[in-house]
Amino acid sequence: MLTVSRKIERLINLTIALLATKRYLTKQEIFRSVDGYEGSEETKERMFERDKDDLRNLGVTIDVGSFDPVFEDEAGYRIRPESYALDLGDISGTEIALLSLAAEAWRGAALDGAAHSALTKLRSMGVESDLDALPAIAPRLTTTFNGFQIIVNAISKRERIAFTYVSATLETQLRTIEPYAIATRDARWYLAGRDIDKDDVRTFRLDRIDGEILIVKSNGHFEIPEDFDVFASLRNEKKNNVATIDIRKGKAQLLRSAALSLVDKGEWDQITINYLDTTYIVDLVLWHGSDAVIIGPESLRNEIIESLESIVRVHG
Amino acid sequence: MDKPIQTPLSRTARLLDLVPYLATHQGVELLSLANDFGVTQSQMIADLTTLWMCGLPGYTPLELMDLSFESGFVTINNAETLSSPRTLNDEESIALLLGLDLVIESLPKDRSDLKAIALELVKRFSLRTNVRAKLAAIPAVAGSTIATIESALSKKQYLEMVYHSLYSDTISKRVVLPLEMRSEAGVEYLFGLCQSASATRMFRLDRIQALKLVSIPTEPVLEMQREGTNRSSYRIRVHSRPRDAAERFALDPASVLTEPEISSFSSEWVRRSVLASGGSIELLEPTDLRREVATVAKTVLSQYRAQ
Repeated sequence: MLTVSRKIERLINLTIALLATKRYLTKQEIFRSVDGYEGSEETKERMFERDKDDLRNLGVTIDVGSFDPVFEDEAGYRIRPESYALDLGDISGTEIALLSLAAEAWRGAALDGAAHSALTKLRSMGVESDLDALPAIAPRLTTTFNGFQIIVNAISKRERIAFTYVSATLETQLRTIEPYAIATRDARWYLAGRDIDKDDVRTFRLDRIDGEILIVKSNGHFEIPEDFDVFASLRNEKKNNVATIDIRKGKAQLLRSAALSLVDKGEWDQITINYLDTTYIVDLVLWHGSDAVIIGPESLRNEIIESLESIVRVHG
Repeated sequence: MDKPIQTPLSRTARLLDLVPYLATHQGVELLSLANDFGVTQSQMIADLTTLWMCGLPGYTPLELMDLSFESGFVTINNAETLSSPRTLNDEESIALLLGLDLVIESLPKDRSDLKAIALELVKRFSLRTNVRAKLAAIPAVAGSTIATIESALSKKQYLEMVYHSLYSDTISKRVVLPLEMRSEAGVEYLFGLCQSASATRMFRLDRIQALKLVSIPTEPVLEMQREGTNRSSYRIRVHSRPRDAAERFALDPASVLTEPEISSFSSEWVRRSVLASGGSIELLEPTDLRREVATVAKTVLSQYRAQ
């Protein structure tokens, strides 16, 4: 326990010394001046190498350079304050309040810890959060999916991941992807990326991933295409198909709430609705039984008639 | 939630973040400081004691950080070098960016001013933190719904809601005394006492169409009828689209092809679910509900043929 505390002290002292210096410090200067470097030359070297790795893992960037142009071979070290410190420029109380709401959304969910530590840093900037400026909303992100952090880290580090995915026929397949994006809509989470074997961008539902997510070591890192926006579909932008449906007065609330237009036809209302996937819209209309009838397009009508005949056949 | 594992690195990170926090919260109470950092009071004292030994090279009282916390209130001095909060790591940035996107989508339509501020924040964050991950979050539940329920819960007040029941395909007004919010498989529910039914009910938050607090003197309901005591069982056969079947009926994948038995509170839900599976699922038992499925399908077919 004591040695652990000593190590933590040394890491803090090293950070302070490297932040405070205006020029590069050589290893010897560090060993001489920073508290905690003890033992043989070799021990100190080993300690220092490990400490540098540890600080890097904490997200602290150590700048390596030459402190004296005459003796170019001797490396020096420093931490630039501008790379160490959080720099968001001027920030207002309203902005802090919005960010607090964003962090609060993770309460109890996958990135709760990260959201909380981010919030602590924001609160340390000394700007009072102006919650009164916001309307009373409390949005929530609800995922406790185990591999969430692995995916998030893989996206930010541009690392390939592999996982077992449950196919539509309930077979499990090993998929290897370059992860591009993560998104949620209506309490479901989606992961998008380039499927290596299929050489194409695919979207996966997180709840269909079975078991652990593995990081795949590969040579070099990939780039996410600048214009990549598979999540446009999440925002209804890709629901280009339009169906015309008759729904009974006072019924089919789900279809009614999604209607683009509504024409009163007496006992029925005729609505138009946007959709992306044929199976999805057929299933949705079937859910409403005799309260909803597809009028067009013809192909969709034929599809639902075929499904109805199939229901009658298997239940005959 | 699980307690985070304490490693030397996570402690170092906490100490580095403690300094700027203290610098802007001078005189903070020890207990509230421990809460803010999610640790026990004794852990916080250990952290402060360690921090006390740190400072600039030289390590005389002139260079060491000056901390005071014996009185139960914490102050820090001589800590300028570490007094700026550290930059956000990728995970923190991603958490905030996803959260911000959700906030943007949750803002009321008449607050385009706030939406503009939040969009500008997203832009600044993506640039400054160098996270260029593609993120999007669209809420399932209206942002004001949870806030209103939380307020009713804390004030022990009734809620009047317009609720869409998916099973019965009706929209009705209910008066409910909220008891708690629950989340199951990512879907959020309100568990409450429904006045009209004199029984406890679960309401899916995403089916609440309108919501307001109402003041009704709280009367104890004497005869409480608990929902969900009468589950019935049903047996199905899966002909195709097995993953859809497994997800719809929450089946174990291994049982999908074995004519699984399912249980439900609502025969209405089972009937609609079988219909909405478009012939990929056959209802085997009970036989009267099976006949009903066939009858409904024939009725709908005749509607198509009549046109």
